[in-house]
Amino acid sequence: MTANSIPSLYVHVPFCASICSYCDFSRQVYNAETADRWLDAMERELHARADGLKPETIYIGGGTPSCLPLFQLDRLLTLLDPYTEEVKEYTVECNPELRDRRVIECLASHRVNRISIGLQTADPSLLKTCGRRHDAADVKRLVDQFSACGISNISLDLMYGLPEQTMEQLEQSIAFALSCQPRHLSLYSLTIEPNSVFGKKGVQSCDADLEADMYECICSILREHGYLHYEISNFALPGYESRHNTNTWEYRNFLGIGYGAWGMEDHCRYTHADTLRNYLKDPLYRNVTELTEQERMFEAVMMGLRLRSGISLQRFSELFGTTPETCYPNTVRTLRERGLLAETDDRLFCTEQGWPLLNSLLVEFMEEAQL
Amino acid sequence: MERIDQDHIRNFCIIAHIDHGKSTLADRILELTETVKERDMKAQLLDEMDLERERGITIKLNAVQLKYHADNGETYLFNLIDTPGHVDFTYEVSRSLAACEGAVLVVDATQGVQAQTLANTYLALDNDLEIIPVINKVDMNNAMPEEAKKEIENIIGLDCSDAPLISARTGMNVHEVLEQIVAKIPSPKGDPDKPLKALVFDSFYDSYRGVIALIRIQDGSLSVGDKITFMATGAQYLVTEAGIRNPKEVPMKTLQCGDVGWFAASIKSIQDVRVGDTVTKADNPADTPLEGYRRMNPMVYCGLYPSDAAKYEDLHEALDKLKLNDASLQYEPETSQALGFGFRCGFLGLLHMDVIQERLEREYDLDLICTAPSVIYHVYLTDGSMLEIDNPAKMPDASKIDHIEEPYVKAEIMTNDAYIGAVMELCQNKRGIYVGMDVIDTGRNILTYEIPLSEIIYDFFDRLKSCSKGYASLDYELIGYRKEDLVRMDILLNGETVDALSVIIHRSEAYQRGSGITIRLKELIPRQQFEIPVQAAIGGKVIARTNIKSLRKNVLAKCYGGDISRKRKLLEKQKEGKKRMKAVGSVVIPQEAFMSVLSMDDNDRK
Repeated sequence: MTANSIPSLYVHVPFCASICSYCDFSRQVYNAETADRWLDAMERELHARADGLKPETIYIGGGTPSCLPLFQLDRLLTLLDPYTEEVKEYTVECNPELRDRRVIECLASHRVNRISIGLQTADPSLLKTCGRRHDAADVKRLVDQFSACGISNISLDLMYGLPEQTMEQLEQSIAFALSCQPRHLSLYSLTIEPNSVFGKKGVQSCDADLEADMYECICSILREHGYLHYEISNFALPGYESRHNTNTWEYRNFLGIGYGAWGMEDHCRYTHADTLRNYLKDPLYRNVTELTEQERMFEAVMMGLRLRSGISLQRFSELFGTTPETCYPNTVRTLRERGLLAETDDRLFCTEQGWPLLNSLLVEFMEEAQL
Repeated sequence: MERIDQDHIRNFCIIAHIDHGKSTLADRILELTETVKERDMKAQLLDEMDLERERGITIKLNAVQLKYHADNGETYLFNLIDTPGHVDFTYEVSRSLAACEGAVLVVDATQGVQAQTLANTYLALDNDLEIIPVINKVDMNNAMPEEAKKEIENIIGLDCSDAPLISARTGMNVHEVLEQIVAKIPSPKGDPDKPLKALVFDSFYDSYRGVIALIRIQDGSLSVGDKITFMATGAQYLVTEAGIRNPKEVPMKTLQCGDVGWFAASIKSIQDVRVGDTVTKADNPADTPLEGYRRMNPMVYCGLYPSDAAKYEDLHEALDKLKLNDASLQYEPETSQALGFGFRCGFLGLLHMDVIQERLEREYDLDLICTAPSVIYHVYLTDGSMLEIDNPAKMPDASKIDHIEEPYVKAEIMTNDAYIGAVMELCQNKRGIYVGMDVIDTGRNILTYEIPLSEIIYDFFDRLKSCSKGYASLDYELIGYRKEDLVRMDILLNGETVDALSVIIHRSEAYQRGSGITIRLKELIPRQQFEIPVQAAIGGKVIARTNIKSLRKNVLAKCYGGDISRKRKLLEKQKEGKKRMKAVGSVVIPQEAFMSVLSMDDNDRK
């Protein structure tokens, strides 16, 4: 496959101004000199890997892309300029601590048209628990600043099931988020990752019933406000679904650039060097995992069923020349009988009952595939 | 290897209460006799199984030959047999005793005589063995060697005036033990000119050479090329290999009178070799076999089922192989509505059951579901007949039962003054009947109780240990059957009786146990996609109930392009977790649930 047929480009910025309690992604505290050398390495990797690439989506995530100072962010965006010709959605993740108007203007000038901001919660004490240094008002201000510069397609991230979080606190956070009029919202239940600060401190997950109550509450409030619940954890006003992420849920290829980025091309998934130091030495190194047809099929199911609309049978057939029902006859049949899966002419999707239990469903797919 | 005449052979074992230092003393003896080079030395050398080293216990006996250059300038051949110390393995001990003329009795100077010290000593005396008492751990701060000696003299009646005071850990005075072995233990008495008589005291399976039999030659000799007969089974074989262990296998052409060694004869049929049988020569047989062993009857039964039904035959084969050197293990096929095809297995005790389960899982790579252990009940029917029931699910309908008897044991518990109250409370909670208390020494006592065996088999040891901070030891023996008001309690999940969860309990405890079990099952059984009522019932009447709420949410919060591999691993973990469970009807039940029905109730929990 040549670079120009890859629909999505993901760029990972491995720096943060500070480390959040729930996070275990590849990230470290920002350092100017390291960031310069990292940009040199990124330039090499882009030249080698992205030649002729004309993606329809670009996503710069992290880490915290917005922790880069203006001159370095500008350099990064300039490096990416050659690939923006056909871009329809160009997202950059920003931290609410971002205040510099020049940075915001810089983003707009490089055709960035979508911003994802981590609000997490509007509650000051919970923000502190998470190790976040901003308050809710920062988010509101930042959303306004972006709108003023012409970027109104804003997505907010929120978390629920935080330590000691109450239903009232969650409802207040959602109300606050809605007051910012985002086009898109992602709501994640807290997962205690063993390598995160929470994991190391031994923080316990919240009560399963409370978490389920919270999820139901979120779904109903956001639906009332006109948001489409288009993926397990994602909500959007009509037309504002994340294209970039939808591509990965539809199991499309994407090019991953930078230390900490994954990519998927040609039946293979890859990461980069295992440490930032090694990445700086050899930005072209890829740790490649070749996926068997069985694995790819399962992954396509695992990703596809996250979407409200489910798996496109046509798309599945393009990829594998078969249907999920042929590959997993028992599972598809019994899950349909139990009212957890449903099918229309072109799509296989989870029912309202099946969707929140997707893991249990997927385990059954796995068992049948003997993966 | 130069031959050593029969006068210079000493066959002995080491006996002791668990943790009193048997295996450590064996290690030191191997070192002192330079049997094992220092660089090859590792702790508990004779405990070959990983399981033995991990738990710090000896399960299987193990025989080694070593040479000792005594102070009198002569060289002696020692055959040392290491033995288990736990009450469950008394049977193994009695087997090794039959191959010896003497026993080294190790007593911990910090703990004195314990229940198993007594039990093993009596076994040794029954076998007419010369006993050499040895006081171990004298280098510890809290050692009281003189008290320990006095206890041995008072309780057992052995003269301890010249008992070596040793530290097996440091090697202190172990030399003295070796000298006493030479001086006190008689050489083997057999007649080298008589027809061969060799006692099979253990055996194991080697996938290349077939069954290897461990033997003690009582009379005559055995050579490679001999045609031999197993006297009990009549099976004949040609000896292909023979030798001793030091502890590596050392092949030898001939095993002579008094020797302890092994032989192989391309024996593929496991049933032909019975521990306790006598081997003789086919062309010049002995007229009578040696006295075998008292056959040990299992006291505890449980169902073993493969998690994966397709592994039934593998389980069968694994049990066959374990049975080979563990004659006390019994099993027969059984079927459970809930669990499918499996085996009802009989064990000598709970530790034995635990060890077998763990060996099956580790050495044979099987995932097992074990049902709660049960004893054998005598169920008298109204028509006058009696059934022996070792599986609660097989208990006949209450209307057909006249009465039920259950086995009782006499339990002797040795403990210090400070813990008498706690131990008595435990025994009473377990339906124990107080028989008496003997003060054996200042501050030490033997409590005697009669307790239903069913109350001992589950967690009695653990509780005894914890309520006495480790200062209590137990020995028990079966004393017969008694009529009790017993009932079968069934457990219903989602309205259906799960036969593998049924238990037989005393009627007076039914309500308490029923609510305890339902609550525990609620905690153990993971939420499923529907609500599951958990009920305890006696004869169709529900006496306790609770609900397992339905699973409402089980989905990954985030899953994007970069996450796929990691998230797939999470799902794989869920899948592996599910493998350790058994689908019974529509409900998936984890392995622990089947055992949990025997745990004590909430208010009794630690």
